[in-house]
Amino acid sequence: MIAILLFAAAALPQGPLDFRARDMRIEPQERRVVLDGDVQLARGGLNVTGQHAVAEYAKEQPSPKTRGRGKAQAAVGGQTIERFVVQGKVHVERGSRTADGEQAVLDVPAQTLVLTGTPDSPPVVRDGSEMLSGDRILLRLDSEDVDVIRPRLVLRRSLSEEGGARPTPVKVEAEHLVLLQARRLARFKDDVVVRRGDAVARSPRMEARYDADGQLTRLELRGGVDVRQGDRRATGESADYDARARTLVLVGDPKLYDQGDVLTGDRIDLALDSKEVRVERARGRLRPELHKGEKGVP
Amino acid sequence: MGSQTVSAVLGVLALGLLNGCGNSGSPTVSAFSVPLDPPDLSLQGVAFARLSEGQVVARGTADRVDYRRAGGRVQASHGGGMVYPLPGSGLAQFGTVRFVAKEIEGEVPNRRGVASGGVRVDTTRGDVAVTERVQCDGDLLHNNVPVAVRGPGYQVDGNGLSARTDGSAIQLTQGVRGQLQMEARR
Repeated sequence: MIAILLFAAAALPQGPLDFRARDMRIEPQERRVVLDGDVQLARGGLNVTGQHAVAEYAKEQPSPKTRGRGKAQAAVGGQTIERFVVQGKVHVERGSRTADGEQAVLDVPAQTLVLTGTPDSPPVVRDGSEMLSGDRILLRLDSEDVDVIRPRLVLRRSLSEEGGARPTPVKVEAEHLVLLQARRLARFKDDVVVRRGDAVARSPRMEARYDADGQLTRLELRGGVDVRQGDRRATGESADYDARARTLVLVGDPKLYDQGDVLTGDRIDLALDSKEVRVERARGRLRPELHKGEKGVP
Repeated sequence: MGSQTVSAVLGVLALGLLNGCGNSGSPTVSAFSVPLDPPDLSLQGVAFARLSEGQVVARGTADRVDYRRAGGRVQASHGGGMVYPLPGSGLAQFGTVRFVAKEIEGEVPNRRGVASGGVRVDTTRGDVAVTERVQCDGDLLHNNVPVAVRGPGYQVDGNGLSARTDGSAIQLTQGVRGQLQMEARR
């Protein structure tokens, strides 16, 4: 999903903003214009629809210092529109990417669009069958970057299983996600949780890296990693997940806990599909009696 | 879509209508009249000026103005005018405002009137509003025909209008579409 978000659409071109609505009400005292009924806003490749929209004017003319920043502004008869607030079944289209929510705030000087929803209906970004949701989604209009608060997403596209097997979805939760298009990077922060099948990895922060085709190549978990799969648990200072090999490599005082067994070493490799474990320069305590009856154990 | 811009443009429509309504004063009329034609007073090549505190705030012309005493009806053809907004007024930033209409009819006592036929308003700043017909009822301007407003960095088209003559509330209705120029200030 992140891959698609990163690479799906071209940069938003400069151009006029077109609007349509059933009615337009101008409120000079409030320095705003209200659009009602089937509102449509379009600029370049960006299309926003909703039931209601308010265009708010800047309180003062921009200072010369502000003008020098090269920010795009909507000038109307010498006035400057600061932002549009669109409400009611908001739908956003930009290239092949679409987004839905209950409210969108288009900040003209900042060139951002913030999409929010309700607890029952959070904002979502889609590209085909891929979907990203979160508490708040910020789309940067001067780049392809996306900033998500409490993201909830599934990394479907990154999973090409061998033999045509049905991909096992990787679900990611975090407090904060920033998608950096130019660097082909998705940066998760705070309470990152990655789920793949029965494997769950937790870490304070994680970066997802993509190749030029938009395919996920690596997940890099940092700041202390805790991985659990069934009765097995592994910890380390950091972990790298190889998306193609579907292996997780723990380093930094890595430890493996498997029922009564405790292993440590220089590095621990976990194969998530086969559940094989490789420990480099292993040392630790094994308690075979606790594994009696397991498959392959006499 | 600038609120004051549109306010100004539409406000001038009101000014034109109110002049058509004869709101600014009672003309001299003949002592004899009949309910319908002919007019009690008919003037050709009319020019007028409106003063406020010794200054000309508006002036205009019309090819012909007919006044009928019954109902206080005024009918003007090919009327036009210019309004010079007072400094500090809501219209001041737009400079001189000009308006023209092929026909202007009004009832002075009722403060009602209609401007029709190529109603157009221009401002020094470059705002232009065009419609085929606008009706004035007291302080309210309204119509249900296409209205096109354009100016620096914007254009708006609607299919109906409802506005206060002082520009405090303006609504374009029945389907609105427009465009804002997004200027990159560098």
